[in-house]
Formats: sequence, C-alpha cells, structure tokens
Amino acid sequence: MLNLTSEQIADGLQLHTVNEDKFKTNLINIYFKRPLIPEEVTYNALLPMVLQRGTKHHKTSQELAKKLDYLYGSSLNGDVGKKGERQIILFSLNTVGLKYIDDKNLLEDCMKLMNEILFDTLIEGEGFKEEYVAQEKLNLESRIKGRLNDKNRYAYDRCIEEMCRNEKFHLYEYGILEDIPQINGKNLLNHYRNIIETSPIDIVVVGSLQHQQVKEYITNSLKFNQKEIIKIEDDSFISHERPIHEVDEKMEINQGKLSLGYRTNLSYQDPLYPALMVYSSILGGGPHSKLFLKVREERSLCYYIYSKLEKFKSLMMISSGIEVDKANETKTVVQQQIDEMKDGKITDHEMTNGKKALITAIEALGDSAGAMAEYTYSQIVGNHFINPDELIEKINSVRIEDVVMVAKKVQLDTVYFLKGLAEEGGNI
Amino acid sequence: MTYSEIKGDVVKESIFTKKLSNGLEVFFMPKEGYTKQYAIFATKFGSNDLKFKKLHDKDIAEVPEGIAHFLEHKLFEEPEGNAFDRFAPLGANVNAYTNFNITAYYFTSTDYFYENLKNLIEFVQAPYFTDENVEKEKGIITQEIKMYQDNPQWRVFFNFLKGMYHNHPVRIDIAGTVESINKTTKEDLYTCFNTFYDPSNMILLVAGDLIKEEVFNKVEELFQKQDIKEPFSIIRYYPDEPIHVNKEIIEEKLSVSMPMFYLGYKKIPKNSEERHINLLKEEATVRILLDMVFDKGTDLYQKLYNEGLIDRSFQVDYVCEPDYGHSIISGDSKDPKMVKKIIDEWLVILKNRGLDEADFARVQRKQIGENISYYNSMEYIGNSFIGYRFKNLNFLEYIDMLKSVSFEDVEEELKNHFNEERQVLSIISPVN
Repeated sequence: MLNLTSEQIADGLQLHTVNEDKFKTNLINIYFKRPLIPEEVTYNALLPMVLQRGTKHHKTSQELAKKLDYLYGSSLNGDVGKKGERQIILFSLNTVGLKYIDDKNLLEDCMKLMNEILFDTLIEGEGFKEEYVAQEKLNLESRIKGRLNDKNRYAYDRCIEEMCRNEKFHLYEYGILEDIPQINGKNLLNHYRNIIETSPIDIVVVGSLQHQQVKEYITNSLKFNQKEIIKIEDDSFISHERPIHEVDEKMEINQGKLSLGYRTNLSYQDPLYPALMVYSSILGGGPHSKLFLKVREERSLCYYIYSKLEKFKSLMMISSGIEVDKANETKTVVQQQIDEMKDGKITDHEMTNGKKALITAIEALGDSAGAMAEYTYSQIVGNHFINPDELIEKINSVRIEDVVMVAKKVQLDTVYFLKGLAEEGGNI
Repeated sequence: MTYSEIKGDVVKESIFTKKLSNGLEVFFMPKEGYTKQYAIFATKFGSNDLKFKKLHDKDIAEVPEGIAHFLEHKLFEEPEGNAFDRFAPLGANVNAYTNFNITAYYFTSTDYFYENLKNLIEFVQAPYFTDENVEKEKGIITQEIKMYQDNPQWRVFFNFLKGMYHNHPVRIDIAGTVESINKTTKEDLYTCFNTFYDPSNMILLVAGDLIKEEVFNKVEELFQKQDIKEPFSIIRYYPDEPIHVNKEIIEEKLSVSMPMFYLGYKKIPKNSEERHINLLKEEATVRILLDMVFDKGTDLYQKLYNEGLIDRSFQVDYVCEPDYGHSIISGDSKDPKMVKKIIDEWLVILKNRGLDEADFARVQRKQIGENISYYNSMEYIGNSFIGYRFKNLNFLEYIDMLKSVSFEDVEEELKNHFNEERQVLSIISPVN
C-alpha cells in the first residue's frame, strides 16, 4: 500500500519517497526535528513565520506570493507542530502535477523558491530584518492568546497542560508568551543557523515522481548545510501513583467542556500497543463506541464525545461538550464504560466494529498524500517503522484478553472542566 | 444501459450519469487506484426550506426552523438501534450534513461497497419517528446548538447573514434555536420527509475504483424493488428580499482573544432566469475579482498586514445561489473598523484606476491550479458536484469557466460588486 523508498542522502538527512500516480499534485514535506524545550520552543515557532516574509531575491511576502500564484497556485507553508516531546518545524510544498498543466519547469521553479526560503534568507546587518521580526512577534503573540477561541480544542490542550505540568510535553507548540519580547533579528538569526546546521532533517515526498528523480531535484536545488547533528531523547514516560488532579476553569461560555486525561502506561513500541488502539476505538472511537452509545444516544448528554490516543506520550484523552450541571452524571457514565472494559464486558460485535473502524482509517490513508506523509514521518519520529499492512494485521490479531489487559493499565490522571461564569452560585 | 458522460478535460476526469425511472439522478465518478469508495445520497432540502407545498396540495406547509437538520439526525434512528450499526461491522464510516439548501448522507468504505450502498439507500428512505425518539433527540441537538453558540467563527458568520438579509431564511441558523427545536413534532418531520425525500428530488453519486456497468446495474436493482410513485414538483416559498442590507454593522461580545470580522457585499438579484444561466460564470468572475483585490499578492493585503491590521487568517469567499448571494472578506483584527475604512478608501481608488492585467493572469493561473488540486479528494468533488447539480450547474465546467472569464468581465464586476450600500460588517469582540 505504501510504495516507500528511504535513503540517507547525507549525514542527518533522509529522503523518503512514496511513489503514487493517482494524485493531481506532488507533495514535498521537509521536517526539521527539535527537542521540545522551553529554551527554544518560542524561537522555533517564530522562525518559519519570519522566513516566509522574504528572501534575498524576493524581498517581500508579496513577491513570494505572486511567484507562487503564477506557479499554478503552488502552496509553500512553514509551520510548527509537536510529536510527543519533540517540536517539528515543517515546510510543505504542494504543487500541481506536470501532466495537468503546460509549465514543464514548475517543479524546479518551486524547489528554487523552497531553497530561497530555507537557505537564502533575507539578512540585514547581523540579523533578520527587524521590521519583519517585530511584526511576526505580534502575530505569534496573538496566535498564543488566540488558543481560547476554539473552546473544544482549548479544553483538550489545557487538560494535557495540567496533566503534564511537570513534563516537557506541557509546552504549547507555539511557545511561551513571556519569551517573545527577548527575541530580536540577531538572536533569531543565530538560532536559525543552529537549526539549519544541527537538526535531523527528513524529506517526505508523495506523488508521481520516482525516487531517483526526486533525489536529483533535491540535491540540485536545496543547499543543505548540516554540520554536527543533535541527538533527541525519547519521550519521558511517567507512571506514578498520585491523586487525581482536578481542575475547573471559568469562562463566559454556554456549554461546559469536559476533558479527561488518562495514562495508558503503554509505549507505542510495546507489542500490546495495537490492543490499546482497539481499546480506545471500542471506548470512544466513533459512533460504534461505548461512549457514543451510552453518553449521547442513551442519555442525550452531549452532541460529541470521543477518546483519542496521544501516541508518543502514551496518553488517552476523552473529550465532550455538556451541560455544566450534568458533569457528574457524565463522569459517572464514562467511568462505568471504563470499568466495563476492565471487567471484560466487551462483545464480539464491539471488537469487530472497533477493529474495522481502525482498519478502514489505515487503509484510507493511501488516498491522501498529506496523510501518507504524516504517517511516514510519525513512524520515523518514533523510530519504529510498521508499514500500514503490518499494522492492520496486528490489529486483526488482537484478542479480547489483550484489550482487557490494556484496560487494566489505563489510569485516570486529570479531570479538566471548562465551565461558564453564569453557573456561579448554582443558578443557570 | 444508456448513460451519458460529463467530461473534465483539464483534470482528465469523467462523471457518468443516468436518470432512473423514479426520477433519481445517478452519477458515477471512476477513481482509479483509490482504496476508498464513496457514495453520497442527497436531497434538495436545507434549512432555507421552511414554507412549501407539493404542486397539487391545497395547503402550504410551514415548519419550525432547523427542521431539515433535525430530520437528518432522526433518519439515523431505526426500530432496532441506529443506522451506524449497519455500517460499523463493514468498517464503513457513515455521516451526514445539512446546509442551507441540501441534506446529504454519505459513507466511505474500503470493502463491501455494494452492501454499504444498499444500507445507505435503505436507511435514508426508511423514516422511523416516534414521539419518544423525537423527544430524545432534542437534548442532543440542544448541545449541538450550544456548541455553536460558543464558536466565535460561527457566530460572526450568522450575525453577518442577519445583517445582510431582512427576510430570507438564510439568516436563520441551520440547526434552528433551542426554542424551535422544542416545538418540532414527529408530524412535522413526516411532512418534510414525504415532500423532499422523493427520489425525483434527490441525487445519488458514487465514486471509487469501481466498474461503471456494475455501479449502474446495482443501483437500478436496489430501486427496482420500490413502488414507483408519480413524480411531483415542489413549490418553495421565500419572502421578498430587499436589495439593501438589513443592518450595516453588527457587533457582539464573546470570549475571544482578539476581534474577528466578516465584511461583505450583497449581490443584487438580477432577473432570476438570466442570472441562473450565468451563475457559474458569475461565481468564477467574482472569485477572480476578490483575489485580485484582496489576496496576498495585492498591495491592499500588504498594507493591511504591514500595519498589523490583519494576519494570515484573512481570506475571501463567495456564495452564489439562485435566490441570494454575497461575498465574504474575513479574518482576525485588532481593529476591524479600521480594516473596513482602509478597504473602502482603497476601492474608491481602484475603481478609478482600474485593475492590472498582470494580476488577472496571475490569479487565473492560481485558481486553475487550486481547482485541479481539489480533484485529489473524491469527497470534495462529490460534495461540490451535487451542490452545483441541484442548481442545474456542472461543477466539472468550473475550470473551463475560469479560463473563459475575461479581464473586461472582472473590471465590469469591480464597478458593480463593491457598493457601500450593500455592505455589512459583523464583528465579534472580546468580552473584556
């Protein structure tokens, strides 16, 4: 299913090509891997924002945008994300396949632009252009403050933040508000040089291009300059007995958001991990799941409720939007489902549905270039490569006993509840 | 078996189509090499349809707001369990959505396609509404409405529509209100079902790496078992809508970190017959215009961005329906009123100075490229295709339409589109 070729083309530089002819576009993702640490998280977040403001040859983002538009709307975006306790800087190029348009140099021209943004950056004096840095600092600030705009996501993230308050994983991928003022064109440029020289880099390409062809494009157009490559630690994996951490937060909202954080105590490299995937699927992985049927369909407590694994940190999160005065009832019903699974109250029907949902999702990966690239890179980051077919086989061979074994390891850690101000004093 | 072929030459895609004897239009888009199969079964019935009758009915039906969406929820209910139970053991994902004009039910599968298809066609045509199960759904939908009430993007959008329209039902929230939901009865649901869920008011579209003959044969087989009713026309009643906007500026406070805005212009409804024929061309023209004025490559965008008035959330859109239409310029800003002021001033200058032909070529190429890339997703194409088809338009022609728009067309649109009398600004600002 995944026609993947991987090759180390330089020290710390890996190329992975997925050859697939059915898409209209070619996707080229360049990933820089960094440790998720307070010292650099904010710098890493700001960097792609500044790099996209201008290059030596296209000095404004307007010039860059015009050029990309003319290249049949090719998109070139830089952003950050986190995978476990690693921060990933990603530059993604998406461009129309050559057989659909009349511009044979399209890909080369796009790669040249990618090279300019990454390696031919606009420098004034001893740093990045201060005007750009100052503007992007403001944008980053509003991005961090803007977290609370999406309440569903906010409650989910805040639960993780509370749960992992003593671990690196609590860091928000866009950085720390208080650290923004200290950044300037000069120290950001120093940081940039460090990133370029020391980060492990992976390039994942999905499209009609052959591996050899891609390699040529890349070695001809991208002027990598890696020196000493850093080693990045595996995720810390905390499992300790402690009282359940309960956090309530108030905001002017209509619907309460309940997020429950669990430690699964099971690494993604563990042979039992596929059983954990099946566990979460049966519990809250869609309309076939226990939570959907009991909390939503039977009791009409919510519109949405789901469980989701945080693979690299071995966490499971449950999220739902409910009436504030129904929080206790919801928690009780959720707990009943968790207990049922521990007690082995899982039907064959639930096993089949839970597995099928996972398998379909894995099979469907192959129909999205972005999903294939992400799957591939996730495997690389975890340093534990399972191809999709193998993973499907492992899921298929999970037994009820395995799921029960997993269920017994899962521990509630943090209960986070976002509720409205109006509820104060008990009147709604 | 006779079917016709609709071609998209640039993207090298085809869609095959046939009309069944019960009036249902069936479409099939082959997607060679794709693992997923996709089917969408949709009715031309959305939140805007609140007053209607069958051609030969005596009385006009008036139903509570949000009923199309309520009905969508309830069709999943079956005498034993719900429709999800049919699909889950086959590994298929089934879901549905309701918008202003359409309700659509769809699944994606990687196996057992025809069993899933049978399930889809069956459950969508088998209503099972009881007083009890209608009551139960009210709690779930209330939570859905409350979720949207906390969603500032949704609120800024619906406030915008309320500012734009005096009477047209597009100003009403798709899910209705907690009040209208609580008024809804099973009889209302049956009235809507019996009017709008007739195959002659529906479309079925299938996509995937499947064999064309087999798709059409199976579909026909599935419908053959059903009694054929006399197809009927539906008359929909919409109130008269003035040309000018209802309210020029609407502001609300919510828990957000920075103000959000929607700015837009109401489209003048031309002679509706004439406008309908040109709807696709109109959409392509306005979309090119909007990018030529507002996209990242423009001076206006750069001015707003460099002054810290907009960020990368800034974007444009155009809604183009036979009975209404509006452009949308939206984003986050510390000062939406200043954004509006700068845009207004800029447009005066631009109307005098005229547009730039190099910009026209750039935007045309960009939009052609973007439209080609949409064909990566069969769900996206399937959705778009049925949306246009219900308006008697062919989505596969859109790229050709983009190519056929001339610079002069866009200049003409520039003069007409941006009229301050038809302009609305909706703002959500922080509570504190």
